Amino acid sequence: MLRITLKSVRGHFLRFLLTAFAVMVGTGFVAGTFVLSDSIRATLDGLFNQASKGVDVVVRGTETGAAGQASSGRAALPLDLEKQLAAVPGVKRVVPDLQGTALIAGKDGTAVRSGGAPGLGFYWDPQGQSFTLLDGRGPTKAGEVAVEKRTLELSGLAVGDTTQAVIGDQRQSVTIVGEVKFGAGTTFGATAVLVDAQSARTLFAPDGRVGDFQLEAADGTSEATLRAAVAKALPADAEAITVTDFNKENQETLGTALGFITTFLLVFAFIALFVGGFIIYNTFAMIVAQRTRELALLRAVGASRPQVRRVVLGEAFVVGLVGSAVGIGFGVLVAAGAKAALRSFVGIDLSSDLPVDALTVAVSLVIGTVVTMIGAYLPARRAARIAPVAAMRDDMSIPAKGLRLRGGLGLSGMAVGAGLVVAGVTRDDIAWQLVGPGALLVKGGAIASAPVLARPVIRVVAAPFAATLGVVGKLARENALRVPRRTATTASALMIGLALISALGVVAQSTKASVADLVAQEIRSDFVLSAGGGVAVPTSVGPAVAALPGVQSVADAVGFGVRTSDGDDLGASAGTAKGLGDNFDITMRSGSLDAIDRGEIIVNGDTAAEQGWTTGSKVSLAVGALAQKEYTVGGVFAPMQILATDIVVGEDLLEAAVPAAQRFNQGVFVKAAPGADLTALRAALVGEVKEFLVVSVEDGEEFQSTAAAGVNIILGILYALLLFSVVIAVLGIINTLALSVFERTREIGLLRAVGLRRRQLSGMITIEAVTTALFGALLGTALGVGLGVALQRGLRNQGLELLAIPWSTILVVLAASAFVGVLAAVLPTVRAVRLDILKAIATE
Amino acid sequence: MTDGHVTAGPAGAVAQAVDLTKVYGSGEAAVHALDGVSVEFERGRMTAIMGPSGSGKSTLMHCMAALDTPTSGTVVIDGVTVNGLKDKALTTLRRDRLGFVFQSFNLVPTLTARENITLPLDIAGTKLDQAWFDTIIDTVNLRDRLTHRPNQLSGGQQQRVACARALVSRPAIVFADEPTGNLDSRSSAEILGFLRRSVDEFGQSIVMVTHDPVSAAYADRVLFLSDGRIVDEITAPTADSVLARMRGFEPAGRQG
Repeated sequence: MLRITLKSVRGHFLRFLLTAFAVMVGTGFVAGTFVLSDSIRATLDGLFNQASKGVDVVVRGTETGAAGQASSGRAALPLDLEKQLAAVPGVKRVVPDLQGTALIAGKDGTAVRSGGAPGLGFYWDPQGQSFTLLDGRGPTKAGEVAVEKRTLELSGLAVGDTTQAVIGDQRQSVTIVGEVKFGAGTTFGATAVLVDAQSARTLFAPDGRVGDFQLEAADGTSEATLRAAVAKALPADAEAITVTDFNKENQETLGTALGFITTFLLVFAFIALFVGGFIIYNTFAMIVAQRTRELALLRAVGASRPQVRRVVLGEAFVVGLVGSAVGIGFGVLVAAGAKAALRSFVGIDLSSDLPVDALTVAVSLVIGTVVTMIGAYLPARRAARIAPVAAMRDDMSIPAKGLRLRGGLGLSGMAVGAGLVVAGVTRDDIAWQLVGPGALLVKGGAIASAPVLARPVIRVVAAPFAATLGVVGKLARENALRVPRRTATTASALMIGLALISALGVVAQSTKASVADLVAQEIRSDFVLSAGGGVAVPTSVGPAVAALPGVQSVADAVGFGVRTSDGDDLGASAGTAKGLGDNFDITMRSGSLDAIDRGEIIVNGDTAAEQGWTTGSKVSLAVGALAQKEYTVGGVFAPMQILATDIVVGEDLLEAAVPAAQRFNQGVFVKAAPGADLTALRAALVGEVKEFLVVSVEDGEEFQSTAAAGVNIILGILYALLLFSVVIAVLGIINTLALSVFERTREIGLLRAVGLRRRQLSGMITIEAVTTALFGALLGTALGVGLGVALQRGLRNQGLELLAIPWSTILVVLAASAFVGVLAAVLPTVRAVRLDILKAIATE
Repeated sequence: MTDGHVTAGPAGAVAQAVDLTKVYGSGEAAVHALDGVSVEFERGRMTAIMGPSGSGKSTLMHCMAALDTPTSGTVVIDGVTVNGLKDKALTTLRRDRLGFVFQSFNLVPTLTARENITLPLDIAGTKLDQAWFDTIIDTVNLRDRLTHRPNQLSGGQQQRVACARALVSRPAIVFADEPTGNLDSRSSAEILGFLRRSVDEFGQSIVMVTHDPVSAAYADRVLFLSDGRIVDEITAPTADSVLARMRGFEPAGRQG
């Protein structure tokens, strides 16, 4: 039996090749995901181990508030603690962790950036082991910097050059005196600039506070011993931790943050495998149908049903194994692509190569093979049911079961699913527990009822072809409808991918429209100064801009964490009543915005409801790095999307709560004074921020489009990944067509004999492919748009207020599907036109 | 239909082959399916080609019908020299000037009987001559079956549809390859009778390959092939005379 299986695979090599290809793409995603996450882990290991070389114990502030956008959620420690720590027996060296943001201007005068990664500032420690000097010398006085190797490469500058820099909050002219290499080889994409130790204190710890201290143990003192010794000497708001634990913590945090990438890829791996499953099913179903006689002969000469089933499943096993083995190689390519994408779009540079370990290989092989065998199971069962007498019969087809039951079940599944989705999205807050299963039911129902839908939809789609091309179009249509089940399965593969693409498209378009609308509604600023993802606007920009003539007020967008006495983590922003009131459309439900200028807090309406706070409540909070303290709720504001924060505090509180170096200002909102010349003001703003290198000035409209543009990048990545499922679907169309061309050899011979030209023949096959593809595309986009609209309705209170359907994208998708059909028809067409008419007619 | 003119009665050759050879394989294994055949098929006549299996009768027909390319020799169909024509020209020739009836699988399963009949015209984009169509339909007695699909028709009905298709474009010549090979005797008689009438009433030229003496007796002339050569011919045959002739040159007595 094994020999028969292997012979069959060899005999039907080409057909199985396409199937194996589908397996390969799906498995490739799985393998790629594993490879990538291994690579991320390896890079992180190297990074943290290198960064903490020569460090044994870390002293840091105790946890106080929530880890906010830019606050560690830990108390900041006074720099003076350094002396105290140095006096502890067993401590060899104490290094305050002085770091902050730093950017230099490159040769072209713009800031040196790597994607969206941050620009980090460190200081040069001749005894430290994190950085190694490559060229020149370390900085020794203010105005000198050493630049990390890749950063220097990006800048186009060389050691000895002078350039502009923004370090901490200070803009200054600096001379590059040295080039350094980060020990781990990569800074994970961030740029790095080093200053001298003394400057670091003024630049990175202007308020005399620092995040942590790194301690090196004297020879013969272990990490644990040192930690215990140091712990005794610490004030109450500081703690000591061994570097081993410290690294582990950091790695977990960063690992979780990057975990989304692998989850993300796994989702697409699942989609790809699911779509691949359809193709596998279709291929095996067709091969079994074509081999009815052969399989019946096996039965007639004494093979049992399980044996016949095993022959087919054995073929699936071989194909799955081969496909997933090749898929592992493809997976390395996927991982390499993801690595390149991370580097160029996100600015994260993975230094580690792409490791393929035993687990990756095992998981990929098992998943690929199992999916293939699942896809082949039904056809195998059908093969086993072939009666031995079929070997003698002329009629080779297996009678198709009625579609009525299947169609009925599918349509009712769609109806129930649609009901669930509607029920889920019509309430105030989207009910995912209804929408999720509902959407799955709709999809499943659509897949089940696709054979029933095939007839009407294909008739419509093919109508223009039949009308213009006469009998060729008609033949194509009838061929597409000949085995509705097969056409439907083929089209379903495309449907799934396109449904996701168009649902995403609707949500994305709605998001863009809604964001733009929100910005227009909630922001009153005339200008917005921002630095783009990953880089903060220096804190000194706000005050500098506020002092310009023609500026009425400014508001900074600084986010930080707040923890309630119950341990709830909340998000907070800060500003002055005037700055916020002028720039944002804040509606106070009770109390007044002015309260923040008196040291009180104002609370988001939703948060107030959740916490049970009202105006006048006394609440205990740990704000930023401050310990728990009681604050008065001075007002409650209506929830809004732009100022989507739980709590707003005054600027004085911000100063006290978040060290300047840890403040991450996303933007400065500027309101012009009434009657100010906006053109002149803009010029003044541009002049003011020019030295800050990365800060750009946008007016309201520009800011709207920038705010919406972020969606495009994410959308681009999603589309690219979904494209793989479309590629698999194309393979499916090729496979189905190739097999049906093979099945119809005689018919094609006959048509050629009675005068069908080669071009007409290829036209016929191409139209069949195009109709099939369009059928899937129409079904997919209809489902996708429906789902997208439903999601928008459901998320209307979460920022997706406006519905926008990307018609142009949908048209492009439909046109592309038709093109995909043409593409898929190429190979089968070549095969068909090359058929020898005589042999074709004579084929049994 | 530029050359739809069909003259009744013998009026020279509608198709002719000169010194036709067809060799399959090469060297030691070479098989001469046709070994220097020269033959003329007369316009408005029905010619049967007979011979045992492997005699080359099908190969001769395929070469004459522009379905196969001879190794050497010349084929002229309705004044057109087939040799050297490209696929496109060959296809057009088959579509416009030739009709085909095969032994089985004559019809496209997805098309109705009517659509199958008009298929060559539809492929060519030519307008249907309704009167001629009606004449054929009535002759083959298919009027009430036109909307049926092939799988709803009996074997005999399917072959009648095939015959109607072969005639609908008024081809210069119809090639029929064992047209009754799969039919019972009653249906066979119907088909052969119909082919005969199309010769007598419409002046159609027909070349038919058969191994059945009864079928051959419907023809005006019977050619006998053996080992790739024409070995004999009879005009105005009867079943008995054909049978006798076959016995004469085929001692093995088996027909293929």
